[in-house]
Amino acid sequence: MIRDERIPSDELRRIDDEIRSNWPTGADVDFENAIEYHESLPAHKRFADVLESADKPLLQPRAGVPRIDDQIELLEYLHREGQADLLPTTIDSYTRDNEYEKAQEGLEKARETGENTLNGFPAVNHGVDGCRELIESIEAPIEVRHGTPDARLLAAITFAGGFQSFEGGPISYNIPYTKRHGLEETIEKWQFVDRLAGAYTERGVRINREPFGPLTGTLVPPSIAIAIMIVEGQLAATQGVRSITLGYGQVGNVVQDVAALNALQKLGDEYLPDEVVVTTVFHEWMGGFPPDEARANGVISLGGMTAAIAQPDKVITKSPQEFQGVPTKEANASGLRTTRQVIDMAIEQNIDIDGIAEEQDLIERETRCLMDTIYDHGDGDVVRGTIEAFDSGVLDVPFAPSDSAKGAVLPARDDDGRVRIFEWADLEMDDDIKEIHRARLSRRADTEGRDQSFRMVADDVDAISDGKLIGRPQPPQGDA
Amino acid sequence: MVLHTMSRTVVLGVIGSDAHVVGITILEQAFSAAGFDVVNLGVQTSQAEFAEAAVAHDAEAVLVSSLYGHAEQDCQGFHEVLDEADVDAVTYIGGNLDVGQSDFEQTRRTFQKLGFDRVFDSETDPEDAIAALRQDLEITPTESERATISS
Repeated sequence: MIRDERIPSDELRRIDDEIRSNWPTGADVDFENAIEYHESLPAHKRFADVLESADKPLLQPRAGVPRIDDQIELLEYLHREGQADLLPTTIDSYTRDNEYEKAQEGLEKARETGENTLNGFPAVNHGVDGCRELIESIEAPIEVRHGTPDARLLAAITFAGGFQSFEGGPISYNIPYTKRHGLEETIEKWQFVDRLAGAYTERGVRINREPFGPLTGTLVPPSIAIAIMIVEGQLAATQGVRSITLGYGQVGNVVQDVAALNALQKLGDEYLPDEVVVTTVFHEWMGGFPPDEARANGVISLGGMTAAIAQPDKVITKSPQEFQGVPTKEANASGLRTTRQVIDMAIEQNIDIDGIAEEQDLIERETRCLMDTIYDHGDGDVVRGTIEAFDSGVLDVPFAPSDSAKGAVLPARDDDGRVRIFEWADLEMDDDIKEIHRARLSRRADTEGRDQSFRMVADDVDAISDGKLIGRPQPPQGDA
Repeated sequence: MVLHTMSRTVVLGVIGSDAHVVGITILEQAFSAAGFDVVNLGVQTSQAEFAEAAVAHDAEAVLVSSLYGHAEQDCQGFHEVLDEADVDAVTYIGGNLDVGQSDFEQTRRTFQKLGFDRVFDSETDPEDAIAALRQDLEITPTESERATISS
């Protein structure tokens, strides 16, 4: 039975040896050599330092292609033409499933044909030297972004390869991404990832860790996201991580988004140990985008505006081609520049919006309620508590494909577009808070002249891609 | 015509390696609200799992969802698997069935050839699928249900 305890160093070495024997490139990882390599990197490539010392939100896109030369060209372009402050390397789906042989086939095909036969950069197959070639070619810090339930080998290779930031976590890269990985299993695997990051940290190489805040990316109520961020932050801190970036995905209501980002920073500082530097990242809208680049730029701009008011440490940008999938590099850079323009215009203004403090207070109360129930369920142990809480449904994520979460809680927007909970299922919450949600949703139902029902949920899921925020009923059509 | 008063069972799932869960969650809610017994197999469901569930629950309809563009590949031989398990159910498929094609009529024909009774695009309202299923199963909605549908 696993608990929230630091993996002992002999155990760390044993697991490390074992996972590095899973694929030939694992043999090239040498910890002492890796420490020396990180120490040789210039200050502007040290991810945690660059992020933590910034005086305004830093921008980072998403990007990953199979071949090293192409990845270098793509990242150089986004750095130069998109003025990205931080760069990503998004990993392909085969690697996320630990299918390194299939990734190898895809990589070889990409090399032969020049086509992007993988949907990302297969870092395990490129190995330590391949990763270092990328790190050396780009004059900015680079983060590994993926979606891997078992990311142990990926972490071992990319850390040794010079990457200093690593996205994901045992809940946030499990519950939204896969059906059949048990939570206990992913927690155990991510304890190793965090412990390895902690081992580098102990030697002065602070690897930044970033739990994936948007979760299912679909109308996730802020308190659920924040509670999961705190849990993953705590798990990472226990293993020795000292630079943690907590994430949150835009819901599109400016008051709620600003309140949520404020609450995320405040509760992160409060719940995580003092020796951890807590930063925040804001993801521009992760749900469906309008199939129209001009409208998509509107969605992106609202994200920029929200970021200018809330001032998170980092913003992950979207491109106007989000609707059609992977964007061209030009569209990707334009998403960065659109965001930059809005932030730079708005950030020096003193914008006061009524209601942020009140909404923040509600989000904090909800989050504390969820954290209390997690600790209760684990008799004080956050690992046990998280497993038990998901199992019983007192902690839940809407639209979760995983068998490890009930996925029974359903959100809907209220009358001014804030995400509330329409179906609580077994989610733990104080009655007076439930009553606030009920009253807010009831006001919307009155406005729309219909009952509260799943129809609102369905309408809300499509609303932004249809050009609105709230899924109001359409006038009846004759041919229905 | 026989008027069915007992509730009818539909099996619902996302086929293949696809993990898109939002559509299926909404369909589950919609079919339940319309009075069907819904067995939601969730995402990443294999052909065999659809067949097993259809047999186990004596389903009258098997509704397949796919959003990630590999539906044609994932559905090869699906109806043979259902036949071998003696599943006698109406079969529908819906979603983003072919990312490469803009002509939905061609996509519809492709999936009808694979054996599906009806093929829906990703813009379909749940109500349209419910109305189609009522027609195919010869179910007459009660007056109250009719009011719900048209609202």
